[in-house]
Amino acid sequence: MNENELKLLEGLRCLAADGPREAPSAVEQRLVGELRRQSRARRRNGWLALGMSGAIAAVLAATLWIRTEPVVQKPTMARSQTPAAVKTAPSPIANVTPAPERGAEVAINFYPLPDADELPPMESATIVRVQLPMSSLRLMGLPISEDRAAEFVQADMLLGQDGLARGVRFVE
Amino acid sequence: MSNGLTNGDGNLLRSISRGDEAAFLQFYRRYQAPVFRFALQMSGQPEIAEEVTQDVFMVVMGSAKKYDPKRGSITAYLYGVARNFVLRRLEQERCYLTALDDPESEYADIAADDHDALRDLTRNERIESLRKAVLALPPAYREVVVLCDLHELDYAEAAMALDCAIGTVRSRLHRARALLTEKMRAEERCAV
Repeated sequence: MNENELKLLEGLRCLAADGPREAPSAVEQRLVGELRRQSRARRRNGWLALGMSGAIAAVLAATLWIRTEPVVQKPTMARSQTPAAVKTAPSPIANVTPAPERGAEVAINFYPLPDADELPPMESATIVRVQLPMSSLRLMGLPISEDRAAEFVQADMLLGQDGLARGVRFVE
Repeated sequence: MSNGLTNGDGNLLRSISRGDEAAFLQFYRRYQAPVFRFALQMSGQPEIAEEVTQDVFMVVMGSAKKYDPKRGSITAYLYGVARNFVLRRLEQERCYLTALDDPESEYADIAADDHDALRDLTRNERIESLRKAVLALPPAYREVVVLCDLHELDYAEAAMALDCAIGTVRSRLHRARALLTEKMRAEERCAV
């Protein structure tokens, strides 16, 4: 390293030590103000998100309440009309609170769906009202005329706690 | 400025990401000085240095938890962020000497223009002259001089901050020093 380079490095050392060492305090004040503003916005957004989640949950709950009804167990009807259905209807449904009676509807007991026996035992149940083609009655072994196979029939699907269908019943 | 991410820095960054004002202030007071001086030495303008310092810590405030220590030290990270803001500001304001962007440009001619002003150099004047010479360097050379010579970063740290190879830092620093030496010699000749 020659003399000129040494002088340069010495000069650079002097330059490094020269001049203001710190940012003005106004910068810190502005940053703290911005941090507080962001914190307020974050809290506000948190409450907003919480409120939105609550509203969505309320809408979902209301929808489910409207579209579902608890399981109704009518052993006398099941015995008289479809004894097999009584045997196959899962026993835990007795835990479900009874539903209010619907006017003219007559609901028979549930028919087990194919492979429903392989599903885990039902701890709680939900019933969803759907429309099924009449042809699907054949799956239950019921005789259906070809003329009416394309028609739809109202049915209740019995869903377990895992959301999987265990059985179906047709509403006359 | 300490190199690397200490446990304290990691905890501070985590707290900052949750909006902890005390943690932010502690972090700011630990690192604001080198960031500010880097921006000032790169730009030569206190206003730009202030704004860049503010911008750098706004980035920290907004993305503290995104910082990955595996990609480099907190020092290099802050210098890198500051460097990007400085270059952006310089680009916007066109306040640097674009004629000198080419390292092969007639650098010595600038020195000759300062002939009268530098005739009677005192120590302070030499520092001021050197400051001007550093500011007149092309940004790619200026930043390695500021980081390695003024802030005493090693080549590896500077390479991380500048996002380039260590060899690039070494060669740029060598060239930058040669330019500055040439400038100083020219001033001495003028002074004589």
